[in-house]
Amino acid sequence: MIEVKDLVRQFKSGDRTIKPVNGVSFELEKGTLASIVGKSGSGKSTLLSLLGALDKPTSGDVVVDGVSLAGLPASKLTEYRRRDIGFVFQQFNLIPNLSAVDNVMLPMEFAGMRKAARLERARSLLEQVQLDPEKQSRRVNKLSGGEQQRVAIARALANEPKLILADEPTGNLDEQTGEHIIELLSSLSRDHNTTILVVTHDRSLAQKTERRFRLQQGKLSEETVRPRVGAGA
Amino acid sequence: MSVLARSVGNAFRNKIRTAAVVAVLAVAIGLALAMLVANQAVVGKVQELNASVGTVLTVNPAGAQGFDGGGEPLTTAQTATAAAVPNVVSVVGMKALRLQTETAASSSTTGTTTQQAGPGGGPGGGTSVVTNLQAAIDAGTLGNRNNTSGSTGTGSTGTTGTGNAGTAPAFSLPITATGIGAEVDTAGKALNITSGTGLGDYTVASTKALIGTTLAEKNSLKAGSTFTIAGTTFTVAGIFDAGTTFGNNAVYTTLAEAQALAATPGELSSMVVTVNSMENVDAAKTALQAALGSGKADVTQGQRNLQTAVSSLDSVKNISLVAFIAALGTAGLIILLIMVMLVRERRREIGVLKAIGARNRTIGVQFVLEALVLVALGSVVGAAIASFASGGIASALISSNSTTAATNQRGPGGGGFGGGLGGGGPFGGASQLLTSVTASASPGVIAAGVVAVFGVAVVGALVPALLTARIRPIEVLRGE
Ligand SMILES: Nc1ncnc2c1ncn2[C@@H]1O[C@H](COP(=O)(O)OP(=O)(O)O)[C@@H](O)[C@H]1O
Ligand SMILES: [Mg+2]
Repeated sequence: MIEVKDLVRQFKSGDRTIKPVNGVSFELEKGTLASIVGKSGSGKSTLLSLLGALDKPTSGDVVVDGVSLAGLPASKLTEYRRRDIGFVFQQFNLIPNLSAVDNVMLPMEFAGMRKAARLERARSLLEQVQLDPEKQSRRVNKLSGGEQQRVAIARALANEPKLILADEPTGNLDEQTGEHIIELLSSLSRDHNTTILVVTHDRSLAQKTERRFRLQQGKLSEETVRPRVGAGA
Repeated sequence: MSVLARSVGNAFRNKIRTAAVVAVLAVAIGLALAMLVANQAVVGKVQELNASVGTVLTVNPAGAQGFDGGGEPLTTAQTATAAAVPNVVSVVGMKALRLQTETAASSSTTGTTTQQAGPGGGPGGGTSVVTNLQAAIDAGTLGNRNNTSGSTGTGSTGTTGTGNAGTAPAFSLPITATGIGAEVDTAGKALNITSGTGLGDYTVASTKALIGTTLAEKNSLKAGSTFTIAGTTFTVAGIFDAGTTFGNNAVYTTLAEAQALAATPGELSSMVVTVNSMENVDAAKTALQAALGSGKADVTQGQRNLQTAVSSLDSVKNISLVAFIAALGTAGLIILLIMVMLVRERRREIGVLKAIGARNRTIGVQFVLEALVLVALGSVVGAAIASFASGGIASALISSNSTTAATNQRGPGGGGFGGGLGGGGPFGGASQLLTSVTASASPGVIAAGVVAVFGVAVVGALVPALLTARIRPIEVLRGE
């Protein structure tokens, strides 16, 4: 379970301070697929980076399964990112000169998994995200955007994280491919019982998530809860 | 995919740039290695020269040149005076005899023209006696020429005789016979006795002698064989090897025996004085000269001119060392700049690695390894460059630095530094030694140089690698 407690992140630009995240609190049960919508520049990425310990809040706290991030030293935050978080980015952010399999194996290598086990798990994950088997050994910069995002999702799943944070995962993809990606995330959240928080400004994609948040002027509000829409179901 | 494999892959991400970086590194590394090779060659040569210069001073009667001239002879009593000089560790008296072979004695009218003593350090003031030994060395063209003209010079300045050059009898170099006060040769070096024994007490007369290997061979002598000097039968106690052909064309008897043969008891033709260290040689020389009186004795350092060579080699040594360090530093700087550039370029990627849980250490190691891959390639090419260039670089360095030294070679004692080896052919002086420094790229030195290069590369790569630790994972979101 993820608990977000009164998070604030402020930036100083010149003599002005801006607060894209200004007192955000919410809770997510394990296995939930949730979305955050909001205008460009409303602070969605900032909020996600705080949840994923890429950045430190000005105040407030994130508590993951009872562990508070606020008190953790840098090395523990690294471990938190490695073990508990999986990131999916708008720009995929794969290592371009490595193959799909090598990219998926990276987080497992950082976690100290043995090579044979890494390879086996990477192949099985790439199968789950439905990447063509013959493209597994191909350098990722030779793959299409949709394929790269599948590889990125497989990489995010590598160490069986508690929370997957996806920042506009469909933003660089065409509509249909984007829909496939959302369906994939939805089915993964159900199959792996993984909590997934997706940032998007595409309202129709947001419609497909169980819980929908809107970030506006630093504050988070939740839209009415409606039944979950499963992938292809 | 390991960290190393990833580093190797990264090193080749941009092949054109990698080739350019490797080429520049190779030049710097090659230069560093060539300088190291030159430096090591010179260091080796300096040690060799220093060892040969040694700490030995030779004392001759004032004005003596070889066997000729000279005022008052040295006496045994003066050894005590010499021994009392500070920093002097030993004084060995020598009495040189001129041995004439029986054939030379019969064909010679004067008995003095057959002698070709080594200039400077040669034993002087000998007395001529006849032996049944055959000299082991033919004089050769130069010796004959010098013999004909009667020159007592340096062995390199003899003038060609005009009338009698063609009619001079076949001439062998004279055999050096010396009475020694201790088991050392005329240069003060301990004798290397290869068979038989030494002479025991060198201060008492005895009809035992030590014979050089070539002389023993020429006369078919072994330990226990006999020969005659001035009608006295001597027994060969031992055979020694002086290491040179000329040095082995010699006979040593005890000091007292030689004094008796020459009928000059208590007289010395020279003293070999050993000083405790190289640094004290100059001071001891001055003190010794003062103690003995400049009118009575000449104190010389036989291989004086070698010091000029050593000091000019020393400057080459320093230049090459500075150049080595500079080239090494350049290689390090190149690595530093390249890696700083790569780290800046891959800021975002480093952010990605951190976002997916890479430790700072892992990323740092990856960058250092990448730098080492570049340096390894640069070293391979650089070592190839060095092995071709080092000889040329070394001799260029040396010739430009030894010009002055070479023109100063001809000291008053003459050009040779054979020190009493007697007419041993014209050594070209120290300049010849300088050019004989051969800078061959020995694998050991190259390996040591490559180790140094890698050390510098690690240091150069460490700064950029540490910079990666300061890149925050939030970089991954830059531009999104
Ligand atoms: N490191 C930073 N320094 C200053 N301002 C920042 C920084 N990061 C984000 N911002 C500002 O915070 C606001 C929210 O940005 P962001 O979270 O990226 O918005 P979104 O992802 O919703 O488009 C923007 O105005 C942005 O300029
Ligand atoms: Mg954003």
